[in-house]
Amino acid sequence: MRFPARMLAAAALFLASLPVGGLSSSAVKADIIVTAAPVYEPLAALTGGERFPKGAQLLLVHDGKAEPLVTGLAASADANVSFDGKTVLFAGKQAATDPWQIWELTLATHAVRKVLATETDAIRPLYLPGLLPEGRLVYARRGPQGFQLETARASEAPPSYASVDTTPAIIQITFLPGSAIPADVLADGRILFEAGFPLGSNSEGHPTAELFLVYSDGSGVESYRCDHGSARWGGKQLTSGDVVFTHGATLVRFTSPLAHEAPIAAPHADFAGAIAETASGEWLVSARANASARFALKFWKPGTPGLISLLAEPGKDIVEPVLVTPRHRPNRHPSGLHDWSYANLMALDARLSRAGDLKSTPASVQLETQDAQGHAVVTGTTPVDPDGSFFVKVPGDKPIRFALLDEKGAVVRQEQGWFYIRRGEQRICTGCHTGPERASENRVPAVLMRTTTPVDLTGVTPADAAQPKAPGGK
Amino acid sequence: MTGRNKIGMHAAAVGFALLAAVFFAIALMPGRPVRAVERDTASDLLDYASPLELLFSPDGKRLYVLCQQSNEIRVFDAATYAVINNIAVGRTPRGFALSPSGDRLFVANSWDDTLSVIDTAKLSVIATWPVGAEPSGVVEDRVAKHLFVANRISNDIAVLDALTGEEQKRLLGGRGASYLTLSPDGARIYATHIYPNPSPLRTGLENRTVPESEITVIDAARAVVLDRIPLHSVAGVFHLAFSNDGRLGVVAEYHPKNLVPLAHLEHGGAFAHTLTLFGADIGKPIEVPLDELERYAAQPFGVAIAPDKSRIYVTCGGSEMVTVIDVPRLMRFIHTHAGPYVQDLSASSNYVVAHIPVGRNPRGLALTRDGRKLLVANRLDDTISVIDSRTLRVASTITMAGPKTVSVLRRGEQTFYTARQSFQGQIGCATCHIDSTFDGLTWDLEPDGFGRDVVDNKLLEGVKDTEPYKWNGGNPNLPTECGPRTEKYFWRSQNYSDLTLTDLVVYVRSMPTRPNRFRLPGGELTPAQERGLALFSRTVDKFGKPIAESNRCSFCHSGPKGTNQKLSDVGTRKATDNAGLLKAAPLTNIALTAPFLHDGSARTLEEIWTVYNPDDKHGRTNDLTKDELNDLIEYLRTR
Repeated sequence: MRFPARMLAAAALFLASLPVGGLSSSAVKADIIVTAAPVYEPLAALTGGERFPKGAQLLLVHDGKAEPLVTGLAASADANVSFDGKTVLFAGKQAATDPWQIWELTLATHAVRKVLATETDAIRPLYLPGLLPEGRLVYARRGPQGFQLETARASEAPPSYASVDTTPAIIQITFLPGSAIPADVLADGRILFEAGFPLGSNSEGHPTAELFLVYSDGSGVESYRCDHGSARWGGKQLTSGDVVFTHGATLVRFTSPLAHEAPIAAPHADFAGAIAETASGEWLVSARANASARFALKFWKPGTPGLISLLAEPGKDIVEPVLVTPRHRPNRHPSGLHDWSYANLMALDARLSRAGDLKSTPASVQLETQDAQGHAVVTGTTPVDPDGSFFVKVPGDKPIRFALLDEKGAVVRQEQGWFYIRRGEQRICTGCHTGPERASENRVPAVLMRTTTPVDLTGVTPADAAQPKAPGGK
Repeated sequence: MTGRNKIGMHAAAVGFALLAAVFFAIALMPGRPVRAVERDTASDLLDYASPLELLFSPDGKRLYVLCQQSNEIRVFDAATYAVINNIAVGRTPRGFALSPSGDRLFVANSWDDTLSVIDTAKLSVIATWPVGAEPSGVVEDRVAKHLFVANRISNDIAVLDALTGEEQKRLLGGRGASYLTLSPDGARIYATHIYPNPSPLRTGLENRTVPESEITVIDAARAVVLDRIPLHSVAGVFHLAFSNDGRLGVVAEYHPKNLVPLAHLEHGGAFAHTLTLFGADIGKPIEVPLDELERYAAQPFGVAIAPDKSRIYVTCGGSEMVTVIDVPRLMRFIHTHAGPYVQDLSASSNYVVAHIPVGRNPRGLALTRDGRKLLVANRLDDTISVIDSRTLRVASTITMAGPKTVSVLRRGEQTFYTARQSFQGQIGCATCHIDSTFDGLTWDLEPDGFGRDVVDNKLLEGVKDTEPYKWNGGNPNLPTECGPRTEKYFWRSQNYSDLTLTDLVVYVRSMPTRPNRFRLPGGELTPAQERGLALFSRTVDKFGKPIAESNRCSFCHSGPKGTNQKLSDVGTRKATDNAGLLKAAPLTNIALTAPFLHDGSARTLEEIWTVYNPDDKHGRTNDLTKDELNDLIEYLRTR
């Protein structure tokens, strides 16, 4: 790629402004990439807004010096290093008025290529492990109802003859009446993402940020934990499996044993989430003294009292640090979605809930979806079996929510938000909002002793069903 | 075997690995059929020690290691871990125990149905006693009067004269009786079993009811069963241990979710891995989970309690770790929180204090007398991890003498036993195929529809060359059965690499078949078996009417494995089955594999014909008397 002379001049001016004297090259041996931005609004995308309203630029911190990682683009942000440590995905704009697009830089040559051309903003790309070396990527693309997650092939080349990746080039994997922004790909292969809580909160409101999970084929969407907090974002997984994130402005973590978040004894500061962990277990964090200060890149050894400054720049926030090193490849999720236009869902015991188990069995369950205008539409009801089980066929790839009704049809419990099930997904819920800590009992659900045919709550009439369906992927 | 021969075998194994990989990579190319890899590599298995169980001598100076694959007891100096002696025993030893004085070591040889008696002063076998079918555990009482032997196949505990080995009687144990523990006061023997007990009553829904297991409690002095402690919804019960004061008992077990459609693994969707606690400290037995929300304690097997009762250690064969429980915290938890606990994946945060990574497929474990060291037998690594119980870290690793290279078969077996491949490490092949066999359960797998095509889990022995696989014949070969199908609908987290799948398939294809206990030593048949063979092979019924070829036992169950590998409708289709065409089941060791039929609805072989063959579609059998059916069954047991 050729770059205009004025861009090079701008880069030279920028380099001169960097406070390289603040760097501690010995603290971190690997190169670091950060995003520097005059204004950083980390949760803006959840309401359809711009996280970097005054632009942003990726910086490569090498041997104690920071320099622009990418030249020739008007803006760059959201770096994600490939598993082999050789390439970097990022969101970039060729011109300031362009939408954010997904780009990839080869570290050895600094050559960049546009991975994805979209008409609307595409942000926060993350590498996904694929069956082929090039794998896939996940990112958030702006749509009519906010950002939705999509996955795409990381390579422009068609699959090679030996490829078993026959999936479409681009697959939408979230279907929410609100935004979803990817945060990390976990070791188990699931995608950690930020969205408003309750899930599917309208993008025009002021949703509380929360962390959710979804498989790379869009199935299994759920809350990471159900002790929902006031604002959780910027989650990253450590090699231990813990997920560290910002709750409000404080660093906290989810651990495998606990159903609730656990505190981190970090030095007092505001943190911007999205930490990076070094090979020896130290953390790179974006922190600031208070809300009126700027985020700077800090080095912290957990268990020690202080943060060590690595990079700060007046008038800019330094956020989203990533290490330029090879890293462990997450698991590749083998999709088991069926070739259906709908999905099946079974609740094992609708009485169970984190909000308190119901004393009596609800009479029926009602399903709602949304019409094109975002209005709730009831698609049907079905009785709940005495053991609290029900088995229903629901519309796939559409926002849905359940309500439990008493014998008079009054709502006993209702989901606060919206979720979705992928087309072809068969899903089991232990209860209604039981939390991930609640495992199923070993018993045959009573509904399956009556019938193995799910009650059709898709709201699709036979005439509708005769119409051609839109494809699940694009 | 000479050293040169061994080197040759290793070279051959490595060469074969490459060859197999190439074959398999070719097989996976689009447009090419997926083919099974051809090679009989069973002999490769003989090279490894495969340490399974550990024991310290009463004075703590010796360490005895039961080596399952090399058919040995290896004796080490417990201070230096220097080898003192290797003692050859019978085929595939599975359990061993020292006499209370430590002067004799009894070894249960599971595949030749013998007990080796080792003089620990001479370190040599002084007697080999014939015992029951597949002896798996052994223990002697305190007064050297009785020797108790758990027989896995005959589901009983044989009581032997401890001096002569003469069998005096048998006590009914649980199905797959395997592990025995003497209480610290010597008054009782506790027996566990690896398969769920058969349903006592025929209800028509046996295959959809909760599995039940038990701890069989035996009076050591009188050699009678005192009690059967029920283990509700448990299938797969392994080692049991007591605290030194005898007030706390703990047993490692599997808690399957086989009745719930297996749609995903998250939230304990397939298994809970648990301990049942019992004894005076506990009162009514309590089941507590070992799992966490995102990390499972797959295949708990060995269990030990620290001498000061401060900790419980559990080996988790699939998770390749030792789970450490703080006993005071555990007690506090169960005394302050109402149960049941098994459905709570956050419960273990109250008492599990460490997970210690060890080698592959950790099984038996032993604590030094002072409790400072915990030794763990890593069966598929040929190593023993020595854990410092103060730091809860592996302080050193003892490497067993043996091959340094890892053969294709060995890698395949490691893949078979590990839970690494599945979502959050919840299950491995060996979770449902316990000790490479089966689990005695029926499962509701997701792809056929919830509640539809409920299937009985079958034995893997002799599975080679019996394709297609699955009851409905849906998988044409083992690479498909073990690969894409397993990845999508069981592991739900990770694809195998081609090489790993090749290793696994080679292992599964080479699984040796256990000796058949129902055949006479010379291979001839008893009169009843002869009569059964005649019925199996007959072409006309008792009224002289010809039996259509397709309705003869010997037609569908033909060939060396007892299957013509074809699908047919034998009238056993249920309303919840998607199709009535089912593959003729192989007959290899068929008598061991209850329940029967594709959905496990027949509790016994007899019920196949007395209950589920009203129209003679599953062979012409309604003309047979009960005695004749018994003859037929006697013959089938020889397969």
